[in-house]
Amino acid sequence: MNTATYQPGEHPELPPPVSERGALGWVRAHLLSSPFNIGLTLLSLWFLWWIVPPAIDWFFIDAAYTGADRNACRATAPDGACWAFVGERLQLFTYGFYPAEERWRVNLSFVLLCVALVPVLFDHVPYRKAGLIYAAAFPFIAGWLLIGGFGLTPVPTDKFGGFMLTLVIGVTGIAFSLPIGILLALGRMSKLPIIHVFSVSFIEFIRGVPLITLLFVASTMLNYFLPPGSTFDLLLRVLIMVTLFASGYMAEVIRGGLQAIPSGQSEAADALGLKYWQAMRLIVLPQALRISIPGIVNTFIGLYKDTTLVIIIGLLDPLGIGRASVADTKWAGLSTELYVFVAVFFFVSCFAMSRYSLYLERKLETGHKR
Amino acid sequence: MTTAPTDTDSQTTVGGDSVAASHADQPAIDIIGMHKWYADFHVLKNINLRVARGERIVICGPSGSGKSTMIRCINRLEEHQQGDIIVDGVKLTNDLKNIETIRREVGMVFQHFNLFPHLTVMENCMLAPVWVRKTPKAEAVETAMKYLERVKIPEQANKYPGQLSGGQQQRVAIARSLCMNPRIMLFDEPTSALDPEMIKEVLDVMVELAQEGMTMLCVTHEMGFAKTVANRVIFMDVGEIIEENTPDLFFDQPQHERTKLFLSQILSH
Amino acid sequence: MKVAKIAALAATLSLAGAGAGHATTLEDVQSRGELNCIINTGLIGFAAPDAAGRWDGFDVAHCRAVAAAVLGDPDKVKFVNATGKTRFTLLNSGEGDVLFRNTTETMSRDADLKLSFLPVTYYDGAGFIIRKDKGVTSARDLSGASICIQTGTTTELNLADFARANNIDYEPVPIETNEEARTNYLADRCDTYITDASGLAASRATFDNPSDHIILPELISKEPLGGAVRHGDDQWFDITKWVVNALILGEELGITQANVESMAARAGKNGDINRMLGTEGDFGAMIGLDKKWAVRAIKAGGNYGEIFDRYLGPSTDIGLERGLNALYTDGGIMYAAPVR
Repeated sequence: MNTATYQPGEHPELPPPVSERGALGWVRAHLLSSPFNIGLTLLSLWFLWWIVPPAIDWFFIDAAYTGADRNACRATAPDGACWAFVGERLQLFTYGFYPAEERWRVNLSFVLLCVALVPVLFDHVPYRKAGLIYAAAFPFIAGWLLIGGFGLTPVPTDKFGGFMLTLVIGVTGIAFSLPIGILLALGRMSKLPIIHVFSVSFIEFIRGVPLITLLFVASTMLNYFLPPGSTFDLLLRVLIMVTLFASGYMAEVIRGGLQAIPSGQSEAADALGLKYWQAMRLIVLPQALRISIPGIVNTFIGLYKDTTLVIIIGLLDPLGIGRASVADTKWAGLSTELYVFVAVFFFVSCFAMSRYSLYLERKLETGHKR
Repeated sequence: MTTAPTDTDSQTTVGGDSVAASHADQPAIDIIGMHKWYADFHVLKNINLRVARGERIVICGPSGSGKSTMIRCINRLEEHQQGDIIVDGVKLTNDLKNIETIRREVGMVFQHFNLFPHLTVMENCMLAPVWVRKTPKAEAVETAMKYLERVKIPEQANKYPGQLSGGQQQRVAIARSLCMNPRIMLFDEPTSALDPEMIKEVLDVMVELAQEGMTMLCVTHEMGFAKTVANRVIFMDVGEIIEENTPDLFFDQPQHERTKLFLSQILSH
Repeated sequence: MKVAKIAALAATLSLAGAGAGHATTLEDVQSRGELNCIINTGLIGFAAPDAAGRWDGFDVAHCRAVAAAVLGDPDKVKFVNATGKTRFTLLNSGEGDVLFRNTTETMSRDADLKLSFLPVTYYDGAGFIIRKDKGVTSARDLSGASICIQTGTTTELNLADFARANNIDYEPVPIETNEEARTNYLADRCDTYITDASGLAASRATFDNPSDHIILPELISKEPLGGAVRHGDDQWFDITKWVVNALILGEELGITQANVESMAARAGKNGDINRMLGTEGDFGAMIGLDKKWAVRAIKAGGNYGEIFDRYLGPSTDIGLERGLNALYTDGGIMYAAPVR
């Protein structure tokens, strides 16, 4: 208790009471602050005790890591996961049906992707400008590496599958949907009627139609419209559809950001003599995009997970590869392992994306906090 | 080009713009029979206003009288539908080139500062010189520092607007405009959004600017400022210029009933 | 504007079709150098990839036989994976040249969907699997049960018919794939699940305790499974039809993967064998192929009996008996028209 009295203006700054400090204070404040919360804490503890140890047993302790087939797994580990299945199929999960002797190209593309991401994701890296130019060129380099031609053995895109397919669709969709989405959002806010009407109808159409339908149209209906005999690469159709789909959503997310920017910002830019595109690029978009980061990343994550829908049109992403693999008599029935494995993969990717978005928000926030 | 004008004479010579130099005797702004409508609403009615070079004009009037709209027409933030506006010898039309030329020469300070929150103070000041005037970066930094010193906040150059007080922000906004070496400055209620204790620091900067001979149009209710620096005071109501006069006569012997009423309301509190 | 750009880019990137305007399917396949064969996305015994990503199975073997006959190489197949819903659209839109996806031949599919069905490769029927401890021994006792059923299949319709005829109330649990059905059933989210008996046997083989589950004796439908092609190209229909026939005839005539080449080396005493293997007459020319078409088809994966035994037969984990699918000479109904 602070019973001492001080003259006005001379009160010293005192530490908070003991009950608010340290580990004990934390436990009391966060776990045991009321009878109801005590109950919740106990319930949570019981729930964790109930769920975590069996999960760890199944995942790691009782699991079989080797074995030629399911029966071998069951023989050594009757109650655990059979990771031998994932192990044997890892190449298939990763590369799909990509020819074995050409898989270095997929690996190289992946390394190049990681290199390209560094300057895009972080400032303050050396040679950032050159890095960004390289990153802009990356989709085309990777396209050449993966598809081949010009000195490389061509690999038809129907050989793409597994995680590689997920990354190809995800990265393409993410890379192209943002700029297209920005253009659509600006178009929707444009005063020119033709651009406005085009953007609005495009966005509303995309948002009004399920992705599955678009994919289905891409995979089958398109052939009815194209001249007979002409073929149009299926993967390319999917990439276009996925990108356009994400762009429609992206446009609305960004429009929300644009509308949150006070009109004074573009007025100030106008008054300084900046041209429309300069004002957009330098003043309005940086702020609008910053506000929209959670929505943008949300759309990215949605798009990334939507790539599993390509199974509908017969492209085998990791989930498709896995489902097909459990149809092999050797591994039939191991669908739990399959779904857990694929879930972990998607969780890791999506969690990384959402953590990055938090990092980005914090980084860009500096100037706006008072 | 790099040194800023310190008075009207040097302004015409350093400006480097042949149009302006050859029209040195022209008025800075000439508004002739200008009308504006928002849809069916007639906001500005037959505005006629000639502003000489180096003249300081204060515009006042009740809210909704069209005073802000009028000065926003001068740099085409608002479009007028009838009549002519000639700024620095250039007639405002739909021609983007003319609009850009005029905007380069006319600086504007807003009620809500409208600083760019994602850029530092320094970047705010450099942006337009670098992108619009194509000034080299080093030079733009130099100019920016000079004006930040002029508005007495050079030490804040690397902060973000959000970290500054309102008065400091408005001074940055003034510095930002000055970095473009404008011939004319428009002020749209520059002190209305400020806490009382910050109004003075902004007005001081404006007074200083006026004393250096800058052509200024200022929408404000700061009557003290009007009395010290204005050559003319203009009173507007319901979209019309009701009365214009020198500050002394305007405040001491207002002619029009509405002006009297307005002044009594303003000065009573 | 943006769209136009993308379309232009797309057009340059896509591999421009080599086929001329009105080429036949055979010409398309030959100029492409690859057979587009529509198969399941994964069905035990019928279609599944191995660890290296090579597709294998009963349906797949038929694809490879056609590819071998037409292109001379059983590996020149591009597999188009289809779900139950997309298979016919894929075939009709030309994404696939032939469909081997455990598909039941029905009148409406034949006439309304404009398909031509190839000879039946597997006579099946829909049955139920159920836990022994439920105490159900006949499908007629299933009233009140929840039943997992694949949507978009003939089984769905057959179940409705069966239930109506026998006054059975049931709660359908719609699912998409066989694997999903299996998972739901084992998790007890449905009391029983219905699918083709071959599928039930294949699934049961993978249960932890197969003997805890029984397949009810009633097969409630006729499910003749076979390949299909789209209407409008009779030559292509003939080719695929006779490849299937050749596989069945191969078993009947004792032509196997191992001996087909030596038997085709010179004419023997059996005219049926001679005609099929091209040592007598030129039957291949009638369907636009060469004399050795059937040799290559059988060489690809063996005759019908060999294919059955390798993927579905008693020696596999699935362990299906031949039953109806035995040759007519062995008490089944497999009876292929002769090459003559």
